[in-house]
Amino acid sequence: MRVLRKPLVMHGQLEYDGPGQLGKRVDAPYRETTKIADGAVEVLREGRAPRHFDLARAPELQALLTGFSALLGGDAATLQQFYTISLVENAAKWTLSLAPRKPAQHLRALVVDGAESEPRCFTVQQADGDSSTLLLGPLAEKALPQALTPAAVAAICAP
Amino acid sequence: MNNARRPALIALWWLALVALAALVQHRLVVSGDLRDFMPPPTNADQKLLLDEIGEGPASRLLLIAIGGASPQRLVALSGGLAQKLRVDAQFERVLNGDSDIASLDPALLPYRYLLSPTLDDHALDAAYLRDELQRRVEDLGSPAGDLVKDILPRDPTLEILKLAQRWTPRHAPSVRDGVWFSPRGEALLLAQTRAGAFDPSAQTAAIASLQTAFAALPGAGLAQLTISGPGYIGVQVGAATRSEAERLSAWGSAGFVVLVLLAYRSFGALALVALPLLSGALAGVAAIALIFGHVHGITLAFGFTLLGVAQEYPLRVFSHRRADADAHTSVREVWPLLRLAIVSACIAYLAFLASAVAGLQQLAVFTIAGLLVAGAATRWSLPALLPEKFRDVADFAWLEKLRAGIDRARRPRWLPWLLLALALAWMRLAPTPLWQNDLAALTPASPALLAREGELRAALGAPDVRYLLVLQAPTADGVLVLSERVSAQADKWISSHVVDDVELPSRWLPSAATQRARQAKLPDRATLSADLDKALADTDFQPGLFAPFLDDVERARSLPLLGPEEFARTPFGARLQAMLVQRDGHWLGLATLSGVHDAAALAADTGGDVRLLDLKAASESLVAQYRTRILIALGVALALLALSVAVAFRNLTRAWHVLAPMSLATLLAFAVLRAGGVSLSLFHLVALTLAAGLGLHYALFFERRTHDAAEGRRTLHATLVCVISALLVFGLLATSALPVLRAIGLTVALGVLFHFFLSIQMARPRD
Repeated sequence: MRVLRKPLVMHGQLEYDGPGQLGKRVDAPYRETTKIADGAVEVLREGRAPRHFDLARAPELQALLTGFSALLGGDAATLQQFYTISLVENAAKWTLSLAPRKPAQHLRALVVDGAESEPRCFTVQQADGDSSTLLLGPLAEKALPQALTPAAVAAICAP
Repeated sequence: MNNARRPALIALWWLALVALAALVQHRLVVSGDLRDFMPPPTNADQKLLLDEIGEGPASRLLLIAIGGASPQRLVALSGGLAQKLRVDAQFERVLNGDSDIASLDPALLPYRYLLSPTLDDHALDAAYLRDELQRRVEDLGSPAGDLVKDILPRDPTLEILKLAQRWTPRHAPSVRDGVWFSPRGEALLLAQTRAGAFDPSAQTAAIASLQTAFAALPGAGLAQLTISGPGYIGVQVGAATRSEAERLSAWGSAGFVVLVLLAYRSFGALALVALPLLSGALAGVAAIALIFGHVHGITLAFGFTLLGVAQEYPLRVFSHRRADADAHTSVREVWPLLRLAIVSACIAYLAFLASAVAGLQQLAVFTIAGLLVAGAATRWSLPALLPEKFRDVADFAWLEKLRAGIDRARRPRWLPWLLLALALAWMRLAPTPLWQNDLAALTPASPALLAREGELRAALGAPDVRYLLVLQAPTADGVLVLSERVSAQADKWISSHVVDDVELPSRWLPSAATQRARQAKLPDRATLSADLDKALADTDFQPGLFAPFLDDVERARSLPLLGPEEFARTPFGARLQAMLVQRDGHWLGLATLSGVHDAAALAADTGGDVRLLDLKAASESLVAQYRTRILIALGVALALLALSVAVAFRNLTRAWHVLAPMSLATLLAFAVLRAGGVSLSLFHLVALTLAAGLGLHYALFFERRTHDAAEGRRTLHATLVCVISALLVFGLLATSALPVLRAIGLTVALGVLFHFFLSIQMARPRD
């Protein structure tokens, strides 16, 4: 389902602080800090009261976090437990696709593109066709193409 | 009487009693509802307590924790248990954290603009919409974006989430996978029973079906179910009291069997000794079943206690058998005194019958019927069944010595007066309040049970059992208006930590006026559409995305207002229904309070149409009133007793020698309890009455002039057997750690001792 006319582009920083703990900072177009720790999510926005919610109220987010944590922490066992994993390798580049074992309402797959030992993109594909991509490291610095279509983003991640 | 037929007849009597008992047990409804037992309420609080809320909605909550298994299993168990209990008619509502706004009827969704307070502070104009839409963009970029996306086209201001938040208790436990969890990692549930907390039989049944439902869940064996709450504690304490009473009674009965065998050296006596009392008890129960149809458990317990005097009738008959007379002659000789005791006691209990309290009337019917039947059984059935071979107790050598010793003992006339003065002094010096109004204090729960209850109550944010905020208005809508007015005050209480949360009816449903005002603020379609376009101008939302929003607002503009009746049909309706009650032409709103820290501040801030109801105080005032009625009834009973004894004797001096020791002994027992720091309760009063009834027998028989010394020895023997048996049974109860059993046991045992010594001490001097 398309809600927006064009993709929402945000810049910021992602922090991984060990299993179950994730921090996300958005610097532009608005400023926001999200912290996930001990099952609680805290969203801080400039000029607004902080919002808290339980990770459990957002099961999709929980699945995502589990996937992220396991990926970043190199926890293959947890990944296997929640996702069906498929890996496509092309020389030094690779694409890892994680499909949830339990059919989820929103999440279709988690795709990681990388080269050698560095992940370059995290893409969350949603069941309704929407997707969001996290460009990491050097990719985040690059200028984005004018027409930001899924195909264009895919080309950035796996050239 | 033919010797061979006697055992058969005794067996027949026993069989008839057992059969009758089985029949009565089926017919009689024993109620545990305190309301049947209490006098009619006299003030508004008591009325509310008894008529409307039983013991308060919060007291009907069972607090449930499931632990000892993996979180996934606990989630499944919590869901399974909630599902089963929700279709069980014994439970009014069951919460486990999954009460989702998604269960709201889609047809009711447009009502969100009338139910949510957003429009009170904001207009749905371009500026507000722009701000909200900017937030939604941020939401979409946030981890919760997925959740917002689905409802965005219909509800860009997220009114549904605001309502969900409003309807969630302020201190709800944290939720995992849609289920409440405690800080300890147990799944938590709340189940509200239909029955009151102090209806033990209904609570027992509800708890049993809860446990059965849980045990039948897959994987339940590996997890651990903990139940708490007032109803559960009541059942637990009741069961503990019952088992302790049964255990002590079993020992008492065993001791009594040995005593009877030692006293009469006859198994025949043993087979007969219980028959009059049991017949009387059954007759009493049958009389109540016939006249009232149902009986309160406490009335029954009091009744059996009072009927204990009837145990003396057969003992008197056994002790007074003479070698030179047949059974019938022996019985005829003691009968006048027994008859006097029975008739005067019955006349005395008529005073209870005249009281307007159903519980006391039942008590009177039970006791009078029981005493009459037990007496008649002793007089007319027992002699035919008495064994022909027996030992004349007057021949016991030890008895002769004892009687001589008592006769030689000095009986100074000043001693009773000294005791009277001492008793009065002790009563004045007593360190504790005279009365114990808190019936629950007599059957206290173990500290472990209470600690667990407190922990679960805090974890669940469950409402307070003791306090309730009562709003009164002529109409249901008036209550909602009042509730809205109080809510500002309630916020102040919460911020100043007087109370953790106040759940007002208007939290669920705003008054008609408020709904109308919000409705009037909703813009028409053209205006809203134009404003929305303005707000959307600098965003990237798809054009036409918010058409469902425009439709909903348009629909909300012409919706008929939501009244309590319509709201009651929604999934959240039960909650409001429990909070709004109609009575005597006006409406009451019952707001629950959680975590009351300063009841005095609450009481100071309320008054008039908004009252703080202290359920404990209201029920204690009822108990105090009930006790006053019992005291009046007892006073009248005592006067009637004195009068009937005096009339029967036609001699004031003789009546004095019966009544004076009895009264002084009762006073002494009372004074000793008070001096020991005991605050008196209904149970003490009943126990004192039983002791007085026994004391009447002692005094009557010691007062009797007999023609020969042997008869005097038989009187002493009978009285000794009676005193020792009473001391045995009630002395054992007095050793109990449970206050209610100790109260009855200690009071009767003390009373019996005083009655015995004083009736000897103050008996009419021999000529």
